[in-house]
Amino acid sequence: MTMKSQDPDQEKTHKAFQWQVLSLPVGLCAAVLKCTADRVDISLPDFQQQGYTLSFINYKGDVRIRKSSRPEEKEQPASPGLGLMSVAGRPMTFRTGASVPFAALVLFIPHSWVHLFLGGNASFHKIEQVLEEEANIITCRLGRRQLSLLSTALAVLSERGDSLLNLQNSALALLEYFLCNRHRSLLGVNPVSDIDNEDDLSLIREVESYISEFYCSDTFTVDSILKKTYTSYHRLNFLFKSIHGMTISEYIRNKRIEKSKEMIADNVKSISQIAYEIGYSSISNYILAFKKVYQITPGKYKKQIDSMA
Amino acid sequence: MSYVSLENSESFLKCFEVIAEDKSCIVSDSVLYFSGKTGKGFITVAGLSTGIEVLAINLSMLTEDLTIRFQPAPDSSSFILGFDEIEIPSISTVSIADAARGRTITYPRDKVVRSLIVRVRKSGLDQLIKDFDAGTISSILDSADGPAFLSWPITFKYRLLLNDFMNEIVQHPFRELFTIRNVSMLIEYLLQQFFVMQKLDQEGSGLSIQDTRSLSRVEQHLCLHYKNEFPGIEKLSRISAMSPTSLKTKFKKYYGETLFGYYQKNKLEHARKLLDSKIPVKVVATEIGYSNPSHFTLAFKKEYGFSPWHYLNPH
Repeated sequence: MTMKSQDPDQEKTHKAFQWQVLSLPVGLCAAVLKCTADRVDISLPDFQQQGYTLSFINYKGDVRIRKSSRPEEKEQPASPGLGLMSVAGRPMTFRTGASVPFAALVLFIPHSWVHLFLGGNASFHKIEQVLEEEANIITCRLGRRQLSLLSTALAVLSERGDSLLNLQNSALALLEYFLCNRHRSLLGVNPVSDIDNEDDLSLIREVESYISEFYCSDTFTVDSILKKTYTSYHRLNFLFKSIHGMTISEYIRNKRIEKSKEMIADNVKSISQIAYEIGYSSISNYILAFKKVYQITPGKYKKQIDSMA
Repeated sequence: MSYVSLENSESFLKCFEVIAEDKSCIVSDSVLYFSGKTGKGFITVAGLSTGIEVLAINLSMLTEDLTIRFQPAPDSSSFILGFDEIEIPSISTVSIADAARGRTITYPRDKVVRSLIVRVRKSGLDQLIKDFDAGTISSILDSADGPAFLSWPITFKYRLLLNDFMNEIVQHPFRELFTIRNVSMLIEYLLQQFFVMQKLDQEGSGLSIQDTRSLSRVEQHLCLHYKNEFPGIEKLSRISAMSPTSLKTKFKKYYGETLFGYYQKNKLEHARKLLDSKIPVKVVATEIGYSNPSHFTLAFKKEYGFSPWHYLNPH
């Protein structure tokens, strides 16, 4: 694998799609990319060898993942701060929405390297089995430490030379985190998130049950949850983000809107009545919220249902 | 006194056999546990097929000194790196030696010992640090009148890393990967230190052995008391038996960092580790000895360029 050298002008124009590929002394290959992409498909670089790829992505905005080149294949929403592992050579594309700042580090792990460092490791063997299945991707959310490692690794783009060892160390640490996380989830410990604290989990469960009980009441606010559970807004939001991938208010909004959708489908009450019953004091707020979640206004949705019936 | 002697080609596993026989210890899954009678802790090895061997020693309360001797092997082309953290500050060092000239390391009894010995083929080192000038190190070691090994004082970075390493190595699910990652980081630290030290050496060193001993006492004091306030130059100069001015200049020369800078970096590195384990900022601030969380935030921001809150919420 050779490092791509380009003259700076060309780099500017094609920067959005250009992976910078570096081979690490330890035997791994790393490709880094940092760009602001406007509605493009970013596909993984081709390493032309057998092995696995492990991609770490971070971005702001809307990004979707496609697992195959077939157009009928469904797209999956990605989430910021994600690690994805798959077999090298299988198509995987990140499709960005409008103007998304996107950063990625892709590690290529050749089979020979796996043999050297992970050969005979039972946990890794299980991971391999899952990967070898058709079009399978293993994902893992990154915690704050990993995100800061990722940005350290991406510093290689701006300062070349002696940051290679730096990149290698960050890459190895990320790889280790990813595998350990998988290992723990194989053992059945904390499958989805990096919240591994019992207290945190029980707090979240408590808040969730509180929300599902009171979310339709118009006096229900986030503040009332904070008072009830003695937590800070930031802390609760952080926990919610790591478990559900959304803030607490988004979580509540989604729950309300889901409920209202069911009520519209029941076709018993008028839209303004529904808005009031699920706790919205203003109908325009409700319409905006509904549109945000389902990209359609409740009135149009009702018409759709009526015309289908 | 126990004594292990290794020929060039012998693998680190031989240490096991010798020690296990000598002390009648239990070996399981390439970890050798010391029983209460002869000491506490463990020794473990990891051999990586790329020509890197690692011997990790985590012991305390040894009843006898433990000596490991690498026989000089003229035809060898390996380096022996030692990262030793021992309760006695003056012998806590980071060292690099050419296996061709041999190396002897003694771990004293009754002390807490954390040590990592890495034997790496010169070609293997190239694999880790291709971009760096490993040649400089070799040429210093190769010159006939040069030192048998190069050594530098251990710093808080190594201490933290060794601590983490020893805590996790025994039960880590991916031991080889964990080891190569840590070795790679240690080598990064080593090289950084090498280049800083080389620069300082060129400016003329002139530190006596007495000086280095005193300085490492000061360093250890700073490391251990990171939770307290900065002890102040007066106290440190009493510990080192030097005048404040010469302590300041000599410390800078030996560690490449000012007294307070060193203390502060260590302190904040501890803070960062606490933050990693999901402890709230306010608690971390009190934990590392700040009475006011905003002072902590300021110091953190000054050191790392972002506030603790941004460190916690990077999205």
